[in-house]
Amino acid sequence: MTGTRVGSEVERDVLGAIRRPGWRWLLGLAVSGLLAVLLHVLWGALIVRGLGLTGLNNPVGWAVLITNFVFWVGIAHSGTLISAVLFLFRARFRTSFNRSAEAMTVFAILVAGMFPLIHLGRVWVFYFLLPYPIERLIWPNFRSPLPWDVFAVTTYLIVSVVFFYVGMIPDLALARRHLPGLRGRIYAVLSLGWQGTGEQWRHYARLYLFLAAFATPLVASVHSIVSWDFAVSIVPGWHTTIFAPYFVAGAILSGTAMVLTLSIPMRRWLGLEAHMPIDHYEGIAKILLFTSLLVGYTYVVEQGLSLYGPSPFERDQYAFRAFGPYRGLFWLMVVCNAILPLTLFLRRARRSLPWLFVLGILVNVGMWTERFVLIVASLSHDFDPYAWGTYSPTRYEIGITAGSFGLFFLFFLLFSRLLPVIAITESKQALADRAGEEGTP
Amino acid sequence: MTRLEFDGREEFLARLRALVEAGTPPERIRLQMPFEVAEAAEILGERPGAVRFFALAGALAGFGTGLALTIYSVVSFPLRVGGKPIVSLPPFLLIGYLLTILFGSLGAFAGFLLLARMPSPRGLAADAELADRFVIVVEGEEGR
Repeated sequence: MTGTRVGSEVERDVLGAIRRPGWRWLLGLAVSGLLAVLLHVLWGALIVRGLGLTGLNNPVGWAVLITNFVFWVGIAHSGTLISAVLFLFRARFRTSFNRSAEAMTVFAILVAGMFPLIHLGRVWVFYFLLPYPIERLIWPNFRSPLPWDVFAVTTYLIVSVVFFYVGMIPDLALARRHLPGLRGRIYAVLSLGWQGTGEQWRHYARLYLFLAAFATPLVASVHSIVSWDFAVSIVPGWHTTIFAPYFVAGAILSGTAMVLTLSIPMRRWLGLEAHMPIDHYEGIAKILLFTSLLVGYTYVVEQGLSLYGPSPFERDQYAFRAFGPYRGLFWLMVVCNAILPLTLFLRRARRSLPWLFVLGILVNVGMWTERFVLIVASLSHDFDPYAWGTYSPTRYEIGITAGSFGLFFLFFLLFSRLLPVIAITESKQALADRAGEEGTP
Repeated sequence: MTRLEFDGREEFLARLRALVEAGTPPERIRLQMPFEVAEAAEILGERPGAVRFFALAGALAGFGTGLALTIYSVVSFPLRVGGKPIVSLPPFLLIGYLLTILFGSLGAFAGFLLLARMPSPRGLAADAELADRFVIVVEGEEGR
């Protein structure tokens, strides 16, 4: 059995999946499309009638919209981890997931990027955030974390799109050969006329290596910068040095959970069981377990910092989170993020797809809640008791949150039918490597 | 012109090695491959290629742009806040770092397009062939 012939099965199955949309896909498309429309309608209402439609108040000026921003940027992170970091480490199980994880990254950043704009209220002046020369000589304040965020998220989006696209070029050329007519022409143009010559492969290999090397530091830096939106302030509960690693670990945890949530149904509905083996899911489950341990550790350290630190406000803030009006959400986040993933110490749990799917959803419930508790509890209970107050979201914010999930799944469903969901050429290479190691040519 | 096709990577590499050892000049050999085989470039004695220089140039340009933008903007509108220096390097280095990554990636991508001659009109033609097997083409053997 030669590598190429084994590889042609991957090619047939993955490209075959592009051609036949089933009823489940159409139903999913309809539901997520409606939610995406809801998002835009509600955003339109916020633009016309103002942010008074949200539950924002004084003191809680950042809430669900910012929670969603942090959540979706976090989701993006494990895509880069799987595609870039695991590439540099030569982890084999990566080939099953890297394409869908990269797509997830791009879509999550797109959705995340909407939220600061929604939260602006006057979205038509968003360009104030960008550095551009005007006659008034006013530039963004580069000492503030908010312009760092603009640069971090924009860089992350562009680099992720380039990485996603470059990884797909040889596969788009294959898709062109499999699909007749206009669709074939579109794939041909997208593949930029890739022919797989020795010269093209030589430069391509270098390019891919460099992109992976450039994207790897972004895994650590983007969510660190997002965390500094909070940590650079002096609000109790936000002003701590552990925030950057805390956010990065949480980001990878939630993103890995989202990879499970997306890829387990996709594997089944597109009939890709043979190309996404359970062993590879076990690898992903180990990443989930490891990052969950990191997150659990930071929960403990955070508590230690507040209890043993000098500030009574920090101590009071921590007690407020654990026993105040948001206590239910606080304990939910502890259970979902730090306790339930411990089941993955059992090999059976790591290899059970139904459990991994459910766990993926629960972890993301926990991670969303974590960001909510972190943002809202700190603002609602800072230094001065006179300025304390609580917040709860209105139906506009709940609708926009649901709509953001709709938009994300809409993008992903379209991706799963329009583009090759598994990296075909890389899988062929991996199969050839394995065949070579087993001694068959 | 001789055209040889192979299903497996190992036989392809063995034949390529034999060709080069038999004295065929590497510049007369053209390859097509369904996936990357690093050994093929080694056998032909090819160097890693110039994408790295584009990446380096992009990265340096990005770092320079980041520092120039931030320093120029504070110097052109000096607003001293909290007694801190006008040129606050730690946050400015952050912008420089992000633009290093951005420009470096875009530079590497642009370099790849240039070096691999893409978008390629020949590759976009309707009858362009794409490798699903390993192909070795030895050009211009008339003199041998």
